[in-house]
Amino acid sequence: MRILSIDSATECASCAVIDENKLLGEISLNHKKQHSVILMPMVDNLLKSLELTIKDIDGFVVSKGPGSFTGLRIGMSMIKGLSQGTNKPFVSVSSLDALAYNMAYTGGIICPILDALRDNVYTALYSFKNDNLIKLTDYMALHIDELIEMLKQYDCSVTFLGDAANKFKGKLQKSFDKTHFAPNNLNLVKASSLGEVGLSLLNSGIKDELFSTAPIYIRKPQAVREYEKRTGLDING
Amino acid sequence: MNSSYYLGVIFVDFVIDSVEKTLAIGKKIGQLANPGDIICLIGDLGTGKTHITKGIAEGLGISDNITSPTFTIVNEYSGRLKLNHFDVYRVSDPDEIYAIGFDEYIFSESVSVIEWANYIEELIPEEHIRIIINKLPSHGENFRKITIEGYGDRYDYLKEIQI
Repeated sequence: MRILSIDSATECASCAVIDENKLLGEISLNHKKQHSVILMPMVDNLLKSLELTIKDIDGFVVSKGPGSFTGLRIGMSMIKGLSQGTNKPFVSVSSLDALAYNMAYTGGIICPILDALRDNVYTALYSFKNDNLIKLTDYMALHIDELIEMLKQYDCSVTFLGDAANKFKGKLQKSFDKTHFAPNNLNLVKASSLGEVGLSLLNSGIKDELFSTAPIYIRKPQAVREYEKRTGLDING
Repeated sequence: MNSSYYLGVIFVDFVIDSVEKTLAIGKKIGQLANPGDIICLIGDLGTGKTHITKGIAEGLGISDNITSPTFTIVNEYSGRLKLNHFDVYRVSDPDEIYAIGFDEYIFSESVSVIEWANYIEELIPEEHIRIIINKLPSHGENFRKITIEGYGDRYDYLKEIQI
């Protein structure tokens, strides 16, 4: 099965074509958020360079979030359109899973963090055991301080990656004895990682419904707390 | 015009007597604005919030005609800097605005102008400009008091506004 995957959940726009045997090609541009302008031409270029047309693609994988609101909608609508037009299945995968997958074979906890603004991050905790990526928590939107508290309960090394890793690097280093940060070449959401996860889902018959699938947005409770702190009012009262 | 500085907040106020002067104040702000600035406009219907925005757009070098995004919630324009023009008058719950990706608009390199920002107080960051416009019927139909408050050092440039 040959699949096209795209990821637009962060600043990085990425597309890849993979099958069971290899990664045929991938384009990633980690420069300004301009997915609506560049993503479709990138896919077009990639297919042309691989001497493929959209008819040669057997399925699609897209990021389902959490992540950039606008980015997710662009990616989701694009892949839904391609899926409907070609009558081929698609499946959505979290970019957090894909990021964690970048760090396959890493010991301890793998903690992808995406910038959710106002000092919040989108995250989930993972570990890699017996060649499998294990998700230890649900997808969360947390204040960075809450994440640090949560991680302190696990007594092991933590590897951070994602677009918020650089932003909070100093703070994270100060908070833990053993922290690692992904090298830059692994520190972006790659459509190939997303595709790798999605391909195995599609191969096992798991696919998304065209009309009911929607990106997942996780609420940031922080805005509520800021409001209550500033005004002294209970938002529900 | 009066300007003062108290506990890190800059206050500037004007009493003006024409739409042209409202535009001129907006234009000056637009010329001075920096990427990521957030400008909240508060005032009743017909006080001139959209006129201030027209001035800001002109100051940002935007030549498009600015209309109030009452139904679209936000309009985007390109000039020296990008401008996001919000009108949240029709919003009944701040969650609605949050849910259109508000944070990505305001925490960007664009300048954001938000009409009726008092409706979504909880979503406005601590550092922002607040412009309050009141009619002065005792002075005459076209008279307005325009109070500009700058929260945060980044808005020190407000001191330079003169008309």
